Amino acid sequence: MKITFPHMGNVHFAAKALFEDLEIDYVVPPFSSKASLEIGSFHSAEEMCLPFKIMIGNYMHAIEEGADTVIITGSCGPCRFGEYCELQMNLLNKLGHKLDFIVVDSPGDIGVKELFARLGKISSSSSISKLNKIRALHQATKVVRLIDGVEAKARYLAGFEKNKGECKKLLNECKQEAQNCKKSQSMLALMNGYMDKLDNVALDNDKNPIKIAIIGEIYTVIEPFSNLYIEDKLMDYGVSTKRTLSPSWWLKNLVLSPTNLNQLDLKRKAKEYLPLMIGGHARECIGEAVLAHDEGFDGAIQIFPMGCMPEIVSKAILPKISKDKDFPILTLVVDEMTGEAGYVTRIEAFVDLLERRKDNVLSRC
Amino acid sequence: MKVGIPKGLLYYDYQPFFHTFFEELGAELIVSSDTNKDILDKGVKYCVDEACLPVKVFHGHVAEIKDQCDLIVIPRIMQLRKREFICPKFCGLPEMVINSIPDMPRATMAPLYALSKERLFQWAKVVGKEVTHNTAKLSKAFEAAVECQSNYKKGIDDDSYPIKVALSGHPYNIYDNFINMNIVNKLKKLGVGVVTEEVIDEDIKNREVSKLYKKPFWSFARNNYSFTSHMADQKLVNGIIYISSFACGIDSVVIELIKHNIEDFPLLVLKVDEHTGEAGLDTRIEAFVDMLERRRS
Repeated sequence: MKITFPHMGNVHFAAKALFEDLEIDYVVPPFSSKASLEIGSFHSAEEMCLPFKIMIGNYMHAIEEGADTVIITGSCGPCRFGEYCELQMNLLNKLGHKLDFIVVDSPGDIGVKELFARLGKISSSSSISKLNKIRALHQATKVVRLIDGVEAKARYLAGFEKNKGECKKLLNECKQEAQNCKKSQSMLALMNGYMDKLDNVALDNDKNPIKIAIIGEIYTVIEPFSNLYIEDKLMDYGVSTKRTLSPSWWLKNLVLSPTNLNQLDLKRKAKEYLPLMIGGHARECIGEAVLAHDEGFDGAIQIFPMGCMPEIVSKAILPKISKDKDFPILTLVVDEMTGEAGYVTRIEAFVDLLERRKDNVLSRC
Repeated sequence: MKVGIPKGLLYYDYQPFFHTFFEELGAELIVSSDTNKDILDKGVKYCVDEACLPVKVFHGHVAEIKDQCDLIVIPRIMQLRKREFICPKFCGLPEMVINSIPDMPRATMAPLYALSKERLFQWAKVVGKEVTHNTAKLSKAFEAAVECQSNYKKGIDDDSYPIKVALSGHPYNIYDNFINMNIVNKLKKLGVGVVTEEVIDEDIKNREVSKLYKKPFWSFARNNYSFTSHMADQKLVNGIIYISSFACGIDSVVIELIKHNIEDFPLLVLKVDEHTGEAGLDTRIEAFVDMLERRRS
């Protein structure tokens, strides 16, 4: 059994740590790229959303490297991500690939027994003791929390750094080196080292950079290829960014959601505009926009794939928030046809607008 | 009190319920007119661009009657069956409408769960209070509305034609003759009978759906998949026509599931949006019917 999984931001670090600790054979597919998107859009139905297409590209690349089992998470929310597994299975079968899918679904829909049976398929191919398996899982969550922490810090400090590009360099180095680490132990040590390095970056505390919150659909904000590396671009402009949604956030949310204690602050903030959970992360998106305003951010950028049902609802609500709170929000819709030049122009214009507002040019008229 | 009911989305399924409920409560009903060009234009003007055609049309219906009424009914239909949903846009419909259309009257915001009569009454209680505080009247109106809804039969099952097609899709695409450009009449003129999903019963639906790896969690997916699957399997029709709105997230999945399931059974997918031209639609239907005739002979 050779396991693979679709890319989603920093998830691959956790997966690598987990499978190495478990001593299971695995393939990390090559990073999502134009090539994976092209393969994906070639085989997928036209109207499927962007994440589906990129994922298919990931699988095809992983198959070339010998993968025979795919792990993905499911969901039974009203968003179409929950149906991905079935469609992807049909599609890959039709293309003649014999792949085993392990769908980690919520126990409420498939039953606890079935869930354990599915998870058992993964753990049975590992020869280490049960205690060590649990430890491996624990270590993997630590890895994903830490790398998300490093990333968030680097992105935020990018606006304050004295030597331009230092944070970006550190972040890229950290990610690069972590890929060559073996097992979670060395990965954690490396990431902790970079966390310290980031703490020691020379900062210009007199600076008052533009701060932008990245909100929207979870896959397109987390997977950097799908949003054309927007956070890297903003780092280059010297903008501080914050993004609440991350793999570690998702994990925490998942664990806490049965108790209804998840994301209390976001729920509270979103209450005025969208009091109910409508699927996907629309409510979180609204909550984040309000929260970003309360935290003194200058603006927010919403990103979602073309046709995303929950985010269309939030897109309808965001102009109201923008108006009520005098808070600029830019919406970017991405799909396989997105052209980089037009995309960059819009981001640049938005940053210009925020800069001018800061100097009180526009807010007085 | 004047209560406005927009003739869009699931109005076609639940019109007896809404009509009876508000009439019994003693409200004056203002129902928007059948969908027309003016309503569509208004919808396109106000609604967020990315939304699908039926949601835009719904915005148009609201815009048409908003100035004439004190309360507008925007049903936030969350669930019709346990562990099944409609579509995220239905769950956020009131927010979409009130944030997009200016100068709105009061709107019903309460979530509607039609899982059981008790859950449905929760909705009726909250909404009914807007009209009357008389609880006895409210309960009576609710009972009457449920009664009226359960007696309501819709669906098309033409038997007298040599060629029959299964007309599949979301109810508002099938029954709104402006959105689908009167497809049922067009087919009848070509000598083709129409069957809709209401002809099959729950047992068949359950049986068909259980063949899937994952139980679909949308009511629309369940209905359309099981209906087309059963019709194609039993060869009860000559072909399937699926009317789908452009960029519909649910249909992008359901159509793939159907295609995979029925293999080479004739299937025509008609995409509708605010730019659909009638001539192109006619040509496609005619070509499809020609093909069905040739296959028969």
